[in-house]
Amino acid sequence: MSTIECRNLRKDYRRGEEVIHTLQDVDIDIHGGSFVALMGPSGSGKTTLLNLLAGIDRPTGGTITIGGRDIGTLGRNALAAWRSANVGYIFQLYNLVPVLTAYENVEMPLLLHTLSSKERHQRVTEALELVGLADRYSHYPRQLSGGQEQRVAIARAIVTRPTMILADEPTGDLDRTSAMQVMDLLVRLNKERNQTIVMVTHDPSTAARAGRTVHLEKGKIIDAAEFNQATRTATIGAHQ
Amino acid sequence: MNSFLRTIPFTWKNLVRRPLRTGLTVAGIAVATFLFSFVESMRDGVSKATEAGAAETRLVVYRKNRFCPFASQLPQSYQRSILNIEGVKSAVPIKIVVNNCRASLDVVTFRGVPDEGYMQEHIAQAQLRSGSISDWQSRGDAVLIGAALADRRRLRAGDRFDAAGVRSWVAGVFDSDDAQDRNVAYAHLGFLQETAQRGGTGGIVTQFNVEVDDPSKMEAVAAAIDEAFAHDQYPTTTRPESAFVARAARDVIVLVRFASIVGWASLAAVFALIANAIALAVRDRIRDHAILQTLGWTGADIAWMVVMEASMLGATGGAIGAIGAHAAIALTHLNFTMEGVSIEVTASNAATIAGVLLATLLGAVAGVVPALSAARREIVQGFRTT
Repeated sequence: MSTIECRNLRKDYRRGEEVIHTLQDVDIDIHGGSFVALMGPSGSGKTTLLNLLAGIDRPTGGTITIGGRDIGTLGRNALAAWRSANVGYIFQLYNLVPVLTAYENVEMPLLLHTLSSKERHQRVTEALELVGLADRYSHYPRQLSGGQEQRVAIARAIVTRPTMILADEPTGDLDRTSAMQVMDLLVRLNKERNQTIVMVTHDPSTAARAGRTVHLEKGKIIDAAEFNQATRTATIGAHQ
Repeated sequence: MNSFLRTIPFTWKNLVRRPLRTGLTVAGIAVATFLFSFVESMRDGVSKATEAGAAETRLVVYRKNRFCPFASQLPQSYQRSILNIEGVKSAVPIKIVVNNCRASLDVVTFRGVPDEGYMQEHIAQAQLRSGSISDWQSRGDAVLIGAALADRRRLRAGDRFDAAGVRSWVAGVFDSDDAQDRNVAYAHLGFLQETAQRGGTGGIVTQFNVEVDDPSKMEAVAAAIDEAFAHDQYPTTTRPESAFVARAARDVIVLVRFASIVGWASLAAVFALIANAIALAVRDRIRDHAILQTLGWTGADIAWMVVMEASMLGATGGAIGAIGAHAAIALTHLNFTMEGVSIEVTASNAATIAGVLLATLLGAVAGVVPALSAARREIVQGFRTT
């Protein structure tokens, strides 16, 4: 099980002459098999942190060590191979490939693995059954509801049996019922398969389903009391 | 599964599941490749008809400064003088009658040749498709017609045939490797002289086909023939047959050269079409590529997909266009005739293969820049762009 260790993690973006410090000296440890929610207001750096953990973005400074491996030192191809083996990513807007059926979308990450077509079929079927969509395998994304699309995206994220699942507001675009189904599924994956899950969310009730909540504010990790104070201030400001 | 193979199914689905875009692009490529292959086949036909081979031994003696069979009139008696010139193996007087002296796609050319020997010797190299030479010899109005002319006019042995004021009977149809033979009707010389002159003089022919015993003597023999008749009432111009064809077909050659430029320009259109289609496709799929890379696909995989998609578009459109051109040429039996000389547009395998290969290659090249840009784009930037 992979433990995630971030040390002095920084991420800067340039906008013309201006440098935006999205993450500033973030230190965080996430134990293997845990379920962590990342909370914070918009622009606090939650998604940036998630992207860095997924290896789809590079830090400006600091280190990210996952399972004892500093992923910042990996080249592009090695990082792609590492993602394929270790990361399942769930997007807020599902991000299924529109020309592929549900089955084919789930199968895509497996094409990078050395599996026979029979094994691939078995894995895809298993993943679709797990998310309750075995009967929708031939449907295209446009023929599915938002909740169903997100469940296909979850099946795609778990089909390679990654060590960690990273979810960027997985319920952000769903109605309450669909959101609950998705959260039930993530909790189940964490408990039954002991998979590490890091989830970005705005919703406190969604965050409450995770074992631990990490708060971010202006690119820094803050404790819960600071976070509550910051949220209250922001709310009062908005009402005024 | 290696990088090359694993991208094929996804690339294929991208093409077939976007039928409108793929269909329009392939149709454009097919039309351009059709044009290219068609023009290349025309050029091939012109080259075959006009390029002299090292072993060329046939000269054509024509009336000096005359360019149409109607105007080239030479006494048949010249044959004796020509045969006396050193290096001449044989000299055949030929009367040519055409229904149109200008360049046209459906000209009927009659060649009047001597009754004895000539056809037996001539058709021995060709294959008689139907009828017989003895039938030709037995009737004064009989003609033996080349396969291309027979196909174009839908003629068979036993049919009556009326063209250029000559009413004849088809004694047989023959195949030949020579484009000039495939497109003419061989009649009896005397019959054609009488018919064409409306009962006027016999003894007038259009040209002499002279066989030289050694290819190296061509120039000397031609000069000797022209010298022999230089001060006669009917001076001559003697050229190797290929040069004779090239002179007669000069307008068509210029036209085909121009068409050739259009053909190559159509290939440039193929390149532009594929480059445009792929650039738009890559722009539309920035998010899809970012998703695939998030799943673990590499930039090289993405680049392969783009290049392969462009190549598949080029290959499909190229194959449809080139094979379409091949079929169109084979079915229409196109043949340019001018001044009694034929240039056949034959379905050229080389032009078909070149069309397919060039369209595929251009597709691949057109895909390179969009492929590199797709491969180099940062994943996070891909999600932000769309």
